[in-house]
Amino acid sequence: MDYFLHELWISRFALAEGFLRTIEISALSITLGTLAGLLIGIALTYGRLPLRLVSRAYVDIIRGTPVLVLVLACFYMPSVFRVSLEALTAGVLALTLFCAAHMAEILRGALAAIPPGQTEAARSIGLTFPKILAYVLLPQALRAILPTWINTGAELVKASTLVSIIGVGELLLKTQEIVGRNFLTLDFYLVAGLLYLIVNYSIERLGKTIERRVTQP
Amino acid sequence: MQPLLQIKALTKRFGALDVLKGVDLDVHQGQVVSVIGSSGSGKTTLLRCVNLLEEFDGGDILIDGEAIGYRTEGQRRRRLKDRDLSRQRAMTGMVFQSFNLFPHLTALGNVALGLIKVKGMAKAEARALAADWLGRVGLAGHAAHYPSQLSGGQQQRVAIARALAMNPKLVLLDEITSALDPELVQEVLQTVKLIAGEGATLLIVTHEMRFARDVSHSVVFMEKGRIAEAGPPSEIFNNPRSPRLIEFLRSSRD
Amino acid sequence: MGYTLHFGVVWASFDRLLSGLALGLGLGLAAVAIGAVIGLAAGFASVGPSPFWRRAAGLYVTVFRNLPILVIVLVVYFGLPQWGIRLDKVESFVASLAVYAGAYLTEVFRAGLLAVPKGVIEAGRAIGLTRLQTNAYVVAPIMVRNALPALGTTFISLFKDSSIAAVIAIPELTFEARKINVESFRVIETWTVVSLLYVSTCLSIAALLRALERRFPKF
Repeated sequence: MDYFLHELWISRFALAEGFLRTIEISALSITLGTLAGLLIGIALTYGRLPLRLVSRAYVDIIRGTPVLVLVLACFYMPSVFRVSLEALTAGVLALTLFCAAHMAEILRGALAAIPPGQTEAARSIGLTFPKILAYVLLPQALRAILPTWINTGAELVKASTLVSIIGVGELLLKTQEIVGRNFLTLDFYLVAGLLYLIVNYSIERLGKTIERRVTQP
Repeated sequence: MQPLLQIKALTKRFGALDVLKGVDLDVHQGQVVSVIGSSGSGKTTLLRCVNLLEEFDGGDILIDGEAIGYRTEGQRRRRLKDRDLSRQRAMTGMVFQSFNLFPHLTALGNVALGLIKVKGMAKAEARALAADWLGRVGLAGHAAHYPSQLSGGQQQRVAIARALAMNPKLVLLDEITSALDPELVQEVLQTVKLIAGEGATLLIVTHEMRFARDVSHSVVFMEKGRIAEAGPPSEIFNNPRSPRLIEFLRSSRD
Repeated sequence: MGYTLHFGVVWASFDRLLSGLALGLGLGLAAVAIGAVIGLAAGFASVGPSPFWRRAAGLYVTVFRNLPILVIVLVVYFGLPQWGIRLDKVESFVASLAVYAGAYLTEVFRAGLLAVPKGVIEAGRAIGLTRLQTNAYVVAPIMVRNALPALGTTFISLFKDSSIAAVIAIPELTFEARKINVESFRVIETWTVVSLLYVSTCLSIAALLRALERRFPKF
């Protein structure tokens, strides 16, 4: 036990660095992924047929591919075009693609659930479609997807562990490095697990709280 | 002769609310007894206590002289174990307002389940008996249908067959036509008349006054958790004595 | 650019990819089967009469829903031997995926249980079924039917998660792909084909499940 605490103390900076990197990756990809996902979701619901088809293909392909494969593909593929992405960039790109596809599908569902009478009513008072979207449809849809969106945050934190495979020094890779040095395998993996648990549990609580607010009209 | 069902000083509370305030009622073998009264008078709760779906706070319910639901240890009443409760429940059959058929089983499967799992019958035997009962309630052609493929009236007739196939000593019918469209009420009531004519012992909670008058040997009027008046249908409907019963009959006539 | 596509190498190793795919499906299937057993038990516990088991089920769900699968896999494969629990690669991966799946399926079954109408349960009790018999012959079948779509979605997502087995060198699809990638350097071709294999499998399973769902009577 003393040995473990001693090692934990030595590793505190490495763990903190990894932890912050995990948060950074997750935050960055949920921000970028959400923005892209909203655009794709709108295209998916209201776009002309070719645009709808392209966005449908994007969403289905990304959602049908394991995140690990996305990570590996984003890491290896650009090198062919003489573009070398840093592992961190490749990782964030993969998670962003993943997040965008999910957000697009979630938004499409929420938009489709709004009764068509809303659009008709808005049109009848003379609003143009972009305005209908901005003032009538999106506010309702965004409100509806808020709890799901927050849970997507937890999914991204979990998925961010996969970028350790391409050598991004986030929490899990840092943990593996520590374990490789002191062989306290179980102990340190459990420490990492606990950290993930704390972050995701907080996100889950936040989601539940907000869900209660949202469902109360 | 000892009554088949004896209810003695039955009391039941829901929190601060006294739902049953000392009910006494006897039902003899082969008798049809209807319980009438406004909603909230405690009549459904009374049936659910007899089927042990509700716990009760005081008094006794005896079927064939056996006290059901509780045993007394010294001064204390104790609820019986699950296994004993199940055995005692099987002595009574219950038909619910909302049918409550098992949605994953066919009409035949609904009737056969209890025969197989409670009575321990062989499958083939149980299915034959279940088919027989479906025929008696006029649904021979619907044995393979799932509840969602049946009308409300048909579902309720399957529920009657399910209860009766278990050969219970006593059948409890809880407002069995209240959830039905008006045009489906008669087929269900006809079925009940049929089984009443065959000598089944029935305790019926109903809003159908004409039906209660036609089918019952005895009618009980409940009011605020008590039996306010009881007697043969001719007395209850033609010569009501208490002002509350007179008012109730007037309001339920239209 | 100057990169010409050459799928030849990938086709030459296509049988390896297919056997990797089959292995991934097997891992997912095993995990969903074991996970469903865990989920059923924990689901019943989570709505049951015992406060202890309700808490325990809640804790299980919270912990395993919120842990990354990769962490669970590494703990089970590399960490547990420290406590003398040694499983081979496939066993430890299936175990990891199953406890992860179990947490999701607990929620699925719990929701399915709460959706069983109270009256139908009472009807079971009224014909004299014991509590256990009512659960087995009335509640469980209805709940499983309610849960069928979610069970299918879980299987699809577990099949995708089976790619993580590559990390502990189980030769499933992603592992084979990495090998081909390294051997041939046909990077674009490899990952395109692999991605399409995953996507088409997921879409096929989804279509199969929809057909299956239609075959079962709706309540």
